[in-house]
This record gives sequence, structure tokens and C-alpha cells, in this order.
Amino acid sequence: MLSRVADALFWMSRYIERSEHVARMLDVSFNLELDLSAVVPGSYDLHWMGLLNAMQQPASVVERYPDSSRRDALMQWFTFDGNNPHSISSCVTRSRANARGVRGSIPNEVWKELNKLYWQLRDEDFKKRATESPSEYYGAVEEGSHAVQGMCDALMAHDEGWQFIQLGKFLERFFITVRFVDVHNELLRELTDPADLPLANLHWAGVLRCCAGYHAYQRMHVGRVEPGRVLDLLLLNPGVPRSARFCLEAALKSLADMYGEGLSRRRTESKCERLLGKALSDLRYADLNALAATTDGLHIFLTDLLDRCTEASLALQEMYSV
Amino acid sequence: MISLSNSPVKSDLLAGYPLGLAFDEMFERDHTVRPHYEPLFRKLASLSPEEFRRRKGMTDLSMLQDGVGFTVYRQEEGIERIWPMDPIPRIIPAKEWAHIERGLVQRLEALNLFLKDIYNDQKILRDKLIDPRLIFEGTYFRREFVGAKVPRDIYIHVCGSDLIRAADGTYCVLEDNGRTPSGVSYMLTNRQVLKRVFPQLFEGYDVRTTDDYPAALLDVLRYISPVRHADTTCVLLSPGIFNSAYFEHSFLAQRMGIELVEGRDLVIDNNRVFMRTTRGLTRVDVIYRRIDDDFIDPVTFRSESILGVPGLVNAYRAGNIALANGIGTGIADDKGIYPFVPDMIKYYLKQDPILPNVETYRPLVPSQRDHVLKNLDKLVVKCVNESGGYGMLIGPHSTAAQREEFRAAILANPRDYIAQPTIQLSTHPTFVDGKIEGRHVDLRPFILCGEKITIVPGALTRVALPKGSLVVNSSQGGGSKDTWVLAEE
Repeated sequence: MLSRVADALFWMSRYIERSEHVARMLDVSFNLELDLSAVVPGSYDLHWMGLLNAMQQPASVVERYPDSSRRDALMQWFTFDGNNPHSISSCVTRSRANARGVRGSIPNEVWKELNKLYWQLRDEDFKKRATESPSEYYGAVEEGSHAVQGMCDALMAHDEGWQFIQLGKFLERFFITVRFVDVHNELLRELTDPADLPLANLHWAGVLRCCAGYHAYQRMHVGRVEPGRVLDLLLLNPGVPRSARFCLEAALKSLADMYGEGLSRRRTESKCERLLGKALSDLRYADLNALAATTDGLHIFLTDLLDRCTEASLALQEMYSV
Repeated sequence: MISLSNSPVKSDLLAGYPLGLAFDEMFERDHTVRPHYEPLFRKLASLSPEEFRRRKGMTDLSMLQDGVGFTVYRQEEGIERIWPMDPIPRIIPAKEWAHIERGLVQRLEALNLFLKDIYNDQKILRDKLIDPRLIFEGTYFRREFVGAKVPRDIYIHVCGSDLIRAADGTYCVLEDNGRTPSGVSYMLTNRQVLKRVFPQLFEGYDVRTTDDYPAALLDVLRYISPVRHADTTCVLLSPGIFNSAYFEHSFLAQRMGIELVEGRDLVIDNNRVFMRTTRGLTRVDVIYRRIDDDFIDPVTFRSESILGVPGLVNAYRAGNIALANGIGTGIADDKGIYPFVPDMIKYYLKQDPILPNVETYRPLVPSQRDHVLKNLDKLVVKCVNESGGYGMLIGPHSTAAQREEFRAAILANPRDYIAQPTIQLSTHPTFVDGKIEGRHVDLRPFILCGEKITIVPGALTRVALPKGSLVVNSSQGGGSKDTWVLAEE
């Protein structure tokens, strides 16, 4: 397969996955805001801060919209603003542009779905729904992403090209999930007072929802949402497709399958595989409780993990641009 | 026999359908419906304008969602537009098609013989049929290729010839596109969309399928391959997603199952062509190139081009790669050479031309120049180096200032212009603003030349949407129609 095609499939997949995460985070945040304001007025600021930090955006972006409330400013910035490379609009546009460059390599249905989403999000009437009924707007983005990924799984040969799509999807999901967990763990660790418990609960439930892990959590645990269990589920659970461990394992499997042979039979691993493999074993055998008990312990661990996986992702791109 | 006036159903859509001076594809002069249009006419007459509008909306949406469009490139962001398809199909009876087919096969045969001659012995020049200056001063003549051997002696592998119908219905060839003709993807997708949106229209017709085109094109590419093994590697070379015909490039590559490559994906080593893949370099044998000569190789042609592949021309000359179309074919579709095509047919094939040319005046000939200058307000003047509806003067629709501009230009460079009578082009019922009215159309069939010359039974019908307009180009407010070639009864 052409190196350019591999690159485009990888980024088509990463960008559509990113748009899905941003959409879900905004949708959950608008929802949470309504709940939180009844608990402690103004407390939802904490959640918006989490969103900004997780997407590595400075708080100053709200100053770009002097006439808007903080909430509306963030909505604009993360939904429509072309200056924000992580806005839904930017992500969907880039995902589609990558798909357009390789239309011959993806099923027509996948292209049509992405193209449909692109035009829907540019429709002026539909844009208004981002404020009028956010869940409808953001829901469409999430559904579009699921449809695209689902069609790739159901319609494509699971060959090299498909593996690049998997790599894009799982690496992107890994990065966003780990960053989101890290940022919220930092923000919420201050809430130790028993009086803050309802607030902390709502927030941790919000974290689960943002990472699409709420349903899985409920199936596993009864009762209130507990921080330790959330961390365990989103970072270590081997069976939940939203967890960091699951994502790394899936990415490694794609790398191994890409050349049609099992990991064990390969004599040498690529740099990308080595880096991801080491990161995965550190994560698998990490003692989360011990890390979370120390100041910054978990933060330092996760930051290091993210750095190494970023390096792996760069190594991947070097690998296919022969 | 039915006509607009005695039709058993009263139609709001077709009420007051005006007939002009031009030949109308559906109606005779007295508003009688031509027999091959009768089933379609009945179907149309039974539809309300609302229903029709709904279906038209479905075609537009379908085109948009499929990404069937062209890019108008402006500033940073390419503006994507769909090329509107009119849902009323154009119908060609089997007998008419057989005539068109024979005529176009004959024409392409002559054009390829002409190119072989011009790039080798130049007999036609020595026999004084064509003034050598017309060839050597032609913008698209590539003197670098005189004497070069091309695979199987085929220069034009894909030709898109534009046909129009005179007032009496005669099909004439208006021009040949022998460089990188486009539009075939619209011929194919228009059929797909119409079948999806308006399946009822097909009732009562045996429409010949066009679906075989990509396979037929691939056969041509394989036929010219320098290697004889079964898995010869063909690729389609595109300038990339910003090219206005990018949709077509990706569509054809996908349907042929070959890689769509850009210049940066190819690399030349020791006069051999390779593409960069995730596993290293892979040898390429045949390139269906959709990049013009000028941009294809910065070493040989325009050095500032970043779209092409440095060294490709040498690899071609060395016989290691086949190109379709070949380099230098533009001299055959040069508008200044066009008037000589009927002579070529007689000269090379010893046959009479089956399809006539449109009468053409060449300002290079003094007597014809006077005629052209005297009748600028009646003629269509075309710059020989332009296409896409640019560089044209349509006399009856022109202003005095425009005519002055062309007069000066013709006097300065008579070789660069030709003039033709303003032909009305035939009209075809077309859905415009909630009603059906006649709009001018042309016809572009796609002719393939490999082991033999073949034409998929279908064509692109382009329609000028503004009332009275004679310019059908997509860049000038044109649309398109599905074109049905009927099976023999």
C-alpha cells in the first residue's frame, strides 16, 4: 500500500475519533452543568477547566469571544472554531480531507458517511442546534464517528489499510482518555471533605461518561461512583474497549498483524512496537492505589506514559514513510 | 402518435413548452413526441411539479453526499460544488448510436495514424495536405518526441469527442479531446443516481449499460504495458485533491482497482518507475495520467511544476513505462488542426468521413480572414489554445467592445483563432424553476483505443442551464444528464 495512503487512513481515523471525544465531552459537560449548579453554584467551572486542560488548551481562549459567556465561548471554540485544531469542525474537516485523498482505498459507504457528516455540520440550521439542543448536535457527531468506524470494521478487508485505521483509532483514544483521567484526577483530588462527596461523585460520573465508560462501570459495580474504581476501569481494565490498556493492546495487535504474522514469530520488533510494548507492561503492572496515594505519583506516571506513546506514534509515521 | 396538444394527460410540467429554431430531442416541429421519447413523455406528463421537485432534490442530495463534484479553487480553501444533474434523461435510439459509433471509431483511427505520421515520417506534410507551420507552431506539438517509439503505435488511448446536432438533427463533431478528457465519471454516476432516484423512468426502455467502462479502460492500459506478465501494475496519476477532476480520478482508480498516485508517490530509478509503499518501492508499468504534458515532468517540460515526476519522460522514452494518453497528442485536438480531420480520414483511411465537422473558417487564410472579420457578430470565434468555454466569442451574444478585442487579436495572431457559424445546438427538455423547458445540449462519448477501438454505449450529455445559453461547460453554468443508448429492438 502507498505510504501516503497509509498516512491518510491513519489520520482519517485519528481525527474522526478525536471529534467523537470532543463532542461527547461537550455534551456531557452541558448536561453536568445543569446538575452541578444545583449542588454548588459555579462549581461546574471545575469541569470546564478539566476539558481545557485535557485538550491542552489555555484558559485564555475564552478571551477570543469577549461578548460570550465562558460556557458559550468554550462551546464555540471546541465546536466551530477553525483556529482550534481540536474543534469538532476542524477534526471532521481533516478526517474528510484525508478520506477524500484515498477514496479508492476505503469503501464508498465510509466516504459517504464522513461526507454526509461534514455537510451536516456545515448546515446553518443544524449549527444552531449546538446551542438549542446540544445532545442532538453532539450526538450526530458521535454517531457519525461510530458509523464510520463500524463500517470500516464491517465492510473492509482487515488488511494493512484497516490496521492503520485501527492504529489511528486506538492511539487517539488512548491519548485522550489518559490525559482526561490525569487532568481530572489532579483537579478532583482536592475534594476530600465529606461535604464535597456529592460533588465529587457527580464529577467522577462525568469523567466516566466523557470517556464512554459509564455503562461498563454500572455493569461491574453497584452503588456510588468511586474514584479508585473509575481509575481502574479507564486505565487498566482489559475488557473495556475504552480503557488505556485495551487501546494499547489493540494497537500492538494491529502492528503485529499488519505483516500477517504473529508477534512471537517476528525476530525483531519495530521501534514503535518496542515503545508501545514497554509502555503497556508498565501500565499493566502499575499499582494504581499506591500511585494515587502519593502527591503527583499518578500524574508523573501518566505523563511519562503519554510521552513514551507520543514517541511511539512518531516512530510509526517514520516506519511507513519508507 | 402523441403530441403536447393531444396528450391524454394534462401536464403542468410541460405546459407551454417552447420550441425554438434548434432541433429538439423530444419534440418534432409540430410538438409531436418523437417515438423513442413516448414512454418517457407519458411518465413525465403524469408527474406533478411538486413530485418532480422532490426527486430533483433527491438527486442533488445524492450527488452532494457521494461527493460527486468539482473543485473551484480559490484562495486557501477549495470550494466544492456539485455538478447539477438534470433528472430528465437524453435518449439515443440504437440506429443513431450505431452511426455515431462508426463515425467516432473512424475518426480516432485517423487521429492516431495522423499522430504516428506527424511524430515519424511526416508524410502528410510532405504531401502538402497540411501547412507544416500549423504543426510546428502548435502549442501542443512536442518536437522532443519526433522519432520516439510509443507502445503499439497508439497515441490517444482515451478520447472524448464533443458532438452537437445541427438544426436538421445531423450529428457533427465540434471538437476532439485527445489529451486528458474528463467527464466519464459523470456518465457513470449519473446512471447510478438516476436508477436510485427515478427508477420508474426506465420502465418501457431497454437501456444499454455503461458499467463496463472501467474494465474496458483497464484492458487498454494492460494492452500497452511494456511487460507481458499478467500482473502488470497500472496506476492512475492525479495532480491531487485540489484538481477540479479529482473526483473522477479517485472514482476511476477505485473502479479499476488500481492505485491512485500523485507525483510525490512516484520515484524514478535508472529510468524505471516505482511507487513508494509501506513495504518499500514497487515497480510501475503503466500510468494512466491525468496530468497535462506541461506538468508531467519538470526535467523535460515546465521546471516549476511540483505535480509531476522528475525523469518520467526519459523512462517513457526508454520504453520502461507506458503512458496513456501519450505525450504530444494535443496537436491532434488543436482547434487549428481540427478543420483538417476530414482530410486526414480520406488521406489515411481512403474513406469518406461518416460524421461531418462543423464548418470552420481559418483566419490564417486571407479570404477566410476577411469573411470572419466581416461577420464577427454572427460567428463563434475560438482561441485554439483554450478550452473549458474560455477564450470564446459568441457573436450574436457579444458586445461591440468584445468584438473589437477579438478583431485585434485575430489580426495579431491569425494562427491562434478559428471561427464557426453559431450553431444553435439541439435542445432537450430540462427541469428549470419548477417547469420543463428546452435547454441546449451537447454529447460527449468516450472512445477507447487498445487492441481495437471501442465505445461504451453511453455518453456525457452536458446541458447549458441558463436560458438560451450555448455554453455547456461545467465552469460556465452547465449541468449534465444521464444519456441512454437504447438496445436494438
